Amino acid sequence: MIGAGALIVPIALIALIAGTLLGPAEQRIVIIFLINLIAVVANGLYSGNSGITSFGHLGFMGVGAYLSAILTMPPSLKATVLPNLPGFLAAAHMGLNEAAIVSMLIVGVFAFVVGIPLSRLSGSAASITTLAFLVIVHSVLNGATDFTRGSQTFYGVQRLTTLPSLAIWVAVAIFVARLFRDLPVGLELRAAREDELAARAMGVNIAQRRLIAWVVSAMLMAVAGAMLAHFLGAFSPKKFFFVDTFSIIAMLIIGGIGSVSGAVAGTAVVTIIMEIARRIEEGPLLPSLGFPQVFGLTQLALGVGILIVMYGRPGGLLGFLEVDDWLVRRGRSLVGVARSEALRSTAGKLEVVGVSKKFAGLVALDRVSFELSAGEIVGLIGPNGSGKTTTLNAISGAVPPSSGEVKINGSAVQGLSADKIARRGIGRSFQNIRLFKNLTVLENIEVAVAASAKSGSDIRAEALAALAELSVEHLADRRAGALAYGEQRRVEIARALALRPQYLMLDEPAAGMNSAETQALMGLLRQIRDKYGLGLLLVEHHLELVMRLCDRVVVLNKGQMIATGTPSEVQNDPKVIEAYIGLRKQRGAKDNKNTEIGRKAV
Amino acid sequence: MKSSMMIAVAGFLGLAATIGVANADDLVIGGAIGLTGSFAYGDVPAQKGMQLAIDEINAAGGIGGKTKITLKLKDSRSDPSQTAIAAQELIDDGVNVLVTPCDADPSIGAGQTAQQAGVTAFSTCASSPNLPLAVGDHMFMNFPADNVQATVSAKYAIDTGYKTAYILISPDSAYTQLPNYFKTVFEKLGGKVIAEDNFSMGQQDFGAQVTKIKSLNPAPDVIMTAAYEPDFPAFIKQLRAAGVMIPVIGSDGIDSPTTFALGDVAEGVVFSTAGYAAPGSPLEAFNKKYKEKYGSDPDTIYAAIGYDLIKVLEAAELKAGSTDRAAIWKAVSELENVQGATSTITYKGTAGIPIRQVALIKIAKGQREFVRQEAPDPALIPPAKL
Repeated sequence: MIGAGALIVPIALIALIAGTLLGPAEQRIVIIFLINLIAVVANGLYSGNSGITSFGHLGFMGVGAYLSAILTMPPSLKATVLPNLPGFLAAAHMGLNEAAIVSMLIVGVFAFVVGIPLSRLSGSAASITTLAFLVIVHSVLNGATDFTRGSQTFYGVQRLTTLPSLAIWVAVAIFVARLFRDLPVGLELRAAREDELAARAMGVNIAQRRLIAWVVSAMLMAVAGAMLAHFLGAFSPKKFFFVDTFSIIAMLIIGGIGSVSGAVAGTAVVTIIMEIARRIEEGPLLPSLGFPQVFGLTQLALGVGILIVMYGRPGGLLGFLEVDDWLVRRGRSLVGVARSEALRSTAGKLEVVGVSKKFAGLVALDRVSFELSAGEIVGLIGPNGSGKTTTLNAISGAVPPSSGEVKINGSAVQGLSADKIARRGIGRSFQNIRLFKNLTVLENIEVAVAASAKSGSDIRAEALAALAELSVEHLADRRAGALAYGEQRRVEIARALALRPQYLMLDEPAAGMNSAETQALMGLLRQIRDKYGLGLLLVEHHLELVMRLCDRVVVLNKGQMIATGTPSEVQNDPKVIEAYIGLRKQRGAKDNKNTEIGRKAV
Repeated sequence: MKSSMMIAVAGFLGLAATIGVANADDLVIGGAIGLTGSFAYGDVPAQKGMQLAIDEINAAGGIGGKTKITLKLKDSRSDPSQTAIAAQELIDDGVNVLVTPCDADPSIGAGQTAQQAGVTAFSTCASSPNLPLAVGDHMFMNFPADNVQATVSAKYAIDTGYKTAYILISPDSAYTQLPNYFKTVFEKLGGKVIAEDNFSMGQQDFGAQVTKIKSLNPAPDVIMTAAYEPDFPAFIKQLRAAGVMIPVIGSDGIDSPTTFALGDVAEGVVFSTAGYAAPGSPLEAFNKKYKEKYGSDPDTIYAAIGYDLIKVLEAAELKAGSTDRAAIWKAVSELENVQGATSTITYKGTAGIPIRQVALIKIAKGQREFVRQEAPDPALIPPAKL
């Protein structure tokens, strides 16, 4: 864990210097910085990895603050300040660290319950829901007067927060957040942040991953709340509401929401900006220059800081980088370990039985039926809009069919979620490449490996082996979004293969490739089929490739299957010729994708 | 050229070093208050009132003609964490007195720091009487406390001949529980609270409470509440609309332009507040001086309250004869009848809660009508409730 170490060591140094050399006022600045750091890192653990900016985390901080304060308060004081507490809380009396741990666990359970519905939401809907959550928690803290004294000041809290114990909690928070990011759970969550559809197709159970991040980050937030409560000694619910939510989010955004290093940098930079601005507004500088003493400079400086950072670096100061990306990656081994034997059987078939799909009255697929055996390559062709991609989506669960059945080796899977179907052995690529752009190439592959690997296997080594399969292992540490087009196609196929599917569906893999590249791709696909005994379903406009590579071809037109058979049978089928020529007459000759069949028909 | 630059820089640094630095024998007041943010509504006017008093005293040669006053300000941004930092910094800087925000949350934390350092602390305008209780003997309030206001209101109610009362309370904040203090005093003086109800702050619909009041038989002589915006306007409108014309007593929370703009429904409402600018009164004189200095009338009573705070410290310094922290604290605890802008102020024997005159104002045709101004009998003031 060099990554966590690289962040923890400077923090520990700051705490040590503050504890030994600085005066009480500076120590307080450092304490607030460290508490903010826990909160920012915790919020980043959820917001950064999931891509859903949470406005609700201060709610957990508030609950943690109140709970821990009740737990540390001497029972005699509780009897006067909070006379209506239930028995076990009224009797409890523990130290700060024990109270922080208990609060953390209780908040964890609480977060789990509220997180279940939340984790099914994405994007701004989820963000707004976290905001609603904050408002609800605020109302509850105000309303639960027996526990919190309502909006009145909650006081009598023991001032137990000390620099050494706080520094240890900061180290725990950074370590957990850094570890989480690279564990499969964090990796898969980041993949879902980049592209939900592709993540599901790689077998990622997004809701579950979000829920885990929500709970872990809420627990860290509770610790931040406990530390703050026992620093302040007196507070009320308004301390855990909009104002502080936005200051925590400002720190996260300035530093870079995508990494733990960003959270640490953002908290440090904002604290330094605010302290400098504060010294200017309080100090003798402005009056001596003839300006009146103006208050509000701190907020002004923060606002300007956010503007500058957002303008110059929209992803925050560090973006998606971790400090150890510079420190460590250079010297890492890129040797892969060949994956253990294929898990899936090479017998069986994928059956599509009478599948239809209607979109609000439009029939996109009309009772399509075909099958794909293991070891077979089937081409799926048809004019634009004929339903080819819809067919892939219906099979993979991305867009469940309206009726009909999809069976994998005899068992029906239609209606299952896309990630479940992926784990049943269906891999896919996408027409418009859907790599996880802000993840490295290696991480892209690791997501798929994690979904299919046996527990205890070395995910990284297996992912490297999967890259080697497509001769792209040299790209391992590049950001996927920065690759050239042809490289992205190969990486996407490598990723789909890393899932170890029994059936692989490729949506226009040759699109945008020149003829040499197309030749190479054909060789590769054959090789994959031969090596793994996969069933390949190939959607392709490049008819030469289809005719030469496929064992059988299925032709769709306007959502209906109009022909199926060997390439030569299909080429001579009058209905196919009509579909393509009819199309050509309407469109004119410019669509060169159809010229081959058109020419043959003439 | 180069040397002249150097001289300019040196001169600038020298100037910078002299400004804002107090002489050793000045009375240095540290203000860790909310100059921006949610407490600025009280802290900024209070700071202006304080500055007015300081300028006035310094222009006359200082306290007792020798001790100048310096006010060191730090913006707490209305945040308890920042207040804790600012308070510690000011105390480390050696301030003689600490001023904390118009709210109990940050005042308790800052007050505890002051208490440990033996520094006397004042909240600009927090009114919750348990503030000194939560901190210790070095924490003083400045604003008329909830229980002090309620004592004056209850005395007025009895003097007016009211025998029975209905009180409306919100458990959501300490302030909105002020009627509990009213009840204690009212019943001590022979009155009887015949019914009471709770409301939630911001609830808007007072139908249930109004129906209950209407059904009371016999009807109460008076209704007492510390509700304020937006609750008070909603309540009084619905009450009067239901035809209930029982007199209503409120508290300083409704001393705002909104209340006076309510029209007929607010007619006759009596409320307690920190002062009344009767002709020839110190408050009228303060308002005039304020307008001269700042160009407009004070927006709220908090400006005059800030002025009062400095007058208290002036009296304490005179009594102590020194700016020593311990001497100042001892002097403040023994102050009696200091003349401020709003009232005379006594701290002797009050555990940090000032005994002040409280003004009662009646709303008459949208204007202030003076009812009475008096300091309560200390024996009547109910103890602060936790």
